Amino acid sequence: MTDEARTLDPLLDEEPCGFISFADDGAVRVVNRTLLDMLGYARGELIGKHVETILAVGSRIFYQTHFFPLLRLQGHADEIFLLLRAKSGSDVAVLANAVRRERDGESITDAVLLQLVERRKFEDALLEAKRVAEEATMTANAHRSELERQAVELEMSQEQLELQARELERQRSIAEDANHAKSAFLAMMSHELRTPLNAIGGYVQLLEMGVHGPVTPAQIDALGRVTRSQQHLLRLINDLLNLARIESGRVDYDLQPIALDDIVQATLPMIEPQLAARGLRYELNVPLELKAQADREKIEQILLNLLSNASKFTQPGGCVTMEANVAPDDIDFVELKVIDTGVGIPNNRLDAVFEPFVQVESSHAARVDGSGLGLSISREMARGMGGDISAESTLGVGSTFTIRLRRG
Amino acid sequence: MSPNALRRNNVKVFGNGTQPMLFAHGFGCDQNMWRFMTPAFENDYRIVLFDYVGSGKSDLSAYDQSRYSSLDGYAQDVLDVCHALQLRDVIFVGHSVSSMIGVLAANREPDLFARLVLIGPSPRYINDAPDYVGGFERSDIVGLLETMEKNYIGWANFLAPAIMKNPDRPELSAELEASFCSTDPVIAKNFAEATFFADNRADLAAVQVPSLIMQCSDDMIAPNVVGDYLSRELPGSTLATLRATGHCPHMSHPDETIAVVREYLRTPVSRERRSAQHA
Repeated sequence: MTDEARTLDPLLDEEPCGFISFADDGAVRVVNRTLLDMLGYARGELIGKHVETILAVGSRIFYQTHFFPLLRLQGHADEIFLLLRAKSGSDVAVLANAVRRERDGESITDAVLLQLVERRKFEDALLEAKRVAEEATMTANAHRSELERQAVELEMSQEQLELQARELERQRSIAEDANHAKSAFLAMMSHELRTPLNAIGGYVQLLEMGVHGPVTPAQIDALGRVTRSQQHLLRLINDLLNLARIESGRVDYDLQPIALDDIVQATLPMIEPQLAARGLRYELNVPLELKAQADREKIEQILLNLLSNASKFTQPGGCVTMEANVAPDDIDFVELKVIDTGVGIPNNRLDAVFEPFVQVESSHAARVDGSGLGLSISREMARGMGGDISAESTLGVGSTFTIRLRRG
Repeated sequence: MSPNALRRNNVKVFGNGTQPMLFAHGFGCDQNMWRFMTPAFENDYRIVLFDYVGSGKSDLSAYDQSRYSSLDGYAQDVLDVCHALQLRDVIFVGHSVSSMIGVLAANREPDLFARLVLIGPSPRYINDAPDYVGGFERSDIVGLLETMEKNYIGWANFLAPAIMKNPDRPELSAELEASFCSTDPVIAKNFAEATFFADNRADLAAVQVPSLIMQCSDDMIAPNVVGDYLSRELPGSTLATLRATGHCPHMSHPDETIAVVREYLRTPVSRERRSAQHA
């Protein structure tokens, strides 16, 4: 029996959702106007056709694998999403409620189809958001795993670092002990060395004074040489002790703002006799306002050392100049220069002069009096005050020694 | 292979006969789909029903994504059930994708099976131009997967985590349990992909067990051309064309289905022993 002759209740025909009835073999029995309009079909085009006609392919498969079995086994299927295929070929998304029951001696399925437009967009957005969230969670989990791995690595590194730190501490302790041992040794040695030297000096003096009998001029001359050697040795020992102390870092620097001009003026009286004796003149070019952040006593010592060198290595008639300026490369530093017109230092020896016990042979003089420690001590002290000493020179023209100090 | 398969696959055994008749459900459903057929056979046979892992009331915790991404995994379920019950001489009845699952199981252990009854079988659903018509394009299957996702299976996708966290809302899980389409959505999707993207044409020639191809009229999932293809390629097969339309004749037209199966089982068939090269 078909429903072609049966007129559809106008209420049902026009209700705001699609309505369709179909048999177990899929043949459409009833379809309302709303559904026909939704899909663009005339009633005659659907009645008697298989319900699959109005389903998109994916939904046709779903009908066979899920929808129909549900109806057959359960008698109803609720809130089923289906994609309908309009006559034009476009897709119409619907939500279906269906009931299968006996009517007129056969099994008929009645289904209500509610078109989903906004809700579908809503669902799609939700599903997408869920996918994104799941991906983000996976990424976050991956990151977390990575972070945990790194944390473990850091912990291991930290353990290693602690081990290394302990090792370094152990070595530092050893080094410090060695340093102490060295200083103690040097102090003891210098004492041991000084004692006999003092004895030598003392007895020579007595001899010179004629305490042990008259002395001839030749003997006085010889005793004088002995004294000079003894003095030299004493100075050498003092310098060695000084250098050792400086290298151990056991020297304190009392840093104050000091006017460079003051230093120069304080040093001049000590060097003037030596300069005069060598027949040298001097010049000063030290701005009054320039200050250094330095230890006064040590600066004086350094300057004296440089001036002494300058006078030793400059021929009579030459000139020693003291100059000062702000460092051209850094306004936080000042330079105090000692410039001589002496024999000069070969370029390949400029760095070497600062090393302990180095003296540059000059063609003009035999070994010049001096321990060879002065410049190394001076440089250590300059560095200890945050500065440095450097040298420039031209053979036969002269040398410039520059003390670089923090500006005060 | 272990008694655990009985619980794992929700195995039900009943019937008065001795020869086992094993019913394998298709994609989308569970063993309930056989409810209109089994009464006709339970007096003469020993009926065995089961759910594949991931379907029906099987043990979901036994689900292994990689195993059940291929029909071989499901074939193993069939063999596991047979071994657990120590079945011999099995009449295997498979619907839809279970037809091919049965073919795979029979190829692995041909001596286990007496006959294969294949309802709406297809060795490959997607067309393979120029010669093979499976009935679908890949985009159609994508459309199916989308429809599945949007259905209350997909809805359960949202709720499932919430349900697990809300033991004080037992009515929700009860509802889902009652509706057999409520398998885990990921599992359902995997089964769909394993089914519709499979190609078992190469497995047909090795079949040693006699089979019945039950071809429905106007079945969009296993169309007539596919039935014809199978009857040519499946050795020892008999093709029966039903008046029943659609894809589920055992549910929509159980009487005709029962009659055809009974007729086939009454007819003796010779079992051709194939040489090893076909294996």
